[in-house]
Amino acid sequence: MSATESVSGGDVGQDSLYKQATDTYGASLDRLARAYEFDPEARRDLLQDIHLHLWRSFAHFDQRCSTRTWVYRVAHNVATGHVIRQRRISSRLVSVESIEALPDSEQGELAASQNEALERLSMLIQRLKPLDRQIIVSYLEGMDASSIGEITGLSPANIAMKIHRTKNVLRRWFGQGGLHAE
Amino acid sequence: MPSEFPMHDPQNVWQNQPTEPFKMSTNEIRSKVQQRQKKARLEALFSITTGLMICFFFAWTFARSHGVLPRLGLGLLSLCGLNFAYQAYRWIWPGRLRPDATVSTSLKFYRSELERRRDYGMHIWVRGGLTFCFLGLAMIVLPEVIRSLRSARLLLNVLPVLVVLAIWFAIFLPTRKRKLRKLQQEIDELRGFEREAQS
Repeated sequence: MSATESVSGGDVGQDSLYKQATDTYGASLDRLARAYEFDPEARRDLLQDIHLHLWRSFAHFDQRCSTRTWVYRVAHNVATGHVIRQRRISSRLVSVESIEALPDSEQGELAASQNEALERLSMLIQRLKPLDRQIIVSYLEGMDASSIGEITGLSPANIAMKIHRTKNVLRRWFGQGGLHAE
Repeated sequence: MPSEFPMHDPQNVWQNQPTEPFKMSTNEIRSKVQQRQKKARLEALFSITTGLMICFFFAWTFARSHGVLPRLGLGLLSLCGLNFAYQAYRWIWPGRLRPDATVSTSLKFYRSELERRRDYGMHIWVRGGLTFCFLGLAMIVLPEVIRSLRSARLLLNVLPVLVVLAIWFAIFLPTRKRKLRKLQQEIDELRGFEREAQS
């Protein structure tokens, strides 16, 4: 079964729906948490929060959208709420611990390049506004415009324009870091 | 077409980053959710009980005191306690956001929560009952102050209360102003995000 298909159907219970969703999208949720929270400790808390909300949300899952859309909507909602709340406390600043947690660029060349690319990507994502962040994360997860539209609630035309801009930004950012464009 | 160098393709970099499996079982999640609900309920109950205790304390003092003015003051303070309990009840059970809400809906939800907070802060003197609280206090303290004016020694007894009150005002007013400004800034920011999400 592809990741884009619904992972459940029929009269499966909340636990079962949750289990199937996390089996399929667990890694994506982990990456999504990374897109919203750089600090590893806070990220673990955010991920736990996402899972708790996701489990609770399946009590209201009415199958009107695919499980994937549901999972991403819930996860983005929790993460957006987290960002809004955090901002109230720490404004736009990052802690010293967060900076310390950045990977050392002195590591092996290939690993350093991959880590650096990921680090740059994460830093870029975390600078973005909530909507743009949702779009870029969905795009990086390999979703098409209609799936992103379902998750964000934007029109296909709007999504197409946003994705175009996202690609441009990514190209520029990866070029600036000495990495080639796509 | 995928990039010749996988690390140069952002999608590839993103999707191939190391991830950790989430280790909580559904039973653990269920118990954690229950714990949180219990904690939220306890916090709500604590605030409501505090308000009710203040209310009963002043009502009890009201029943035991003499003199019209102090009794009026105590009555007002008792009502303030009741208002505090009601406000706690209102704040601790805010509106719920649909779990699958889209980004514009969730931004609107957070904005309206902040607006509620801002409005409460802006109207704290009337809606928050602070005016009535001070009026009540004044009704209790003023007869004593007037009595003390006849003797400088008695005035000294009232002085600490006045000093504390002055300090409280000196801290409360600028803090409130700063909080309101920050809230408004956040509301404007969310409004901007919302506009983008709707455009």
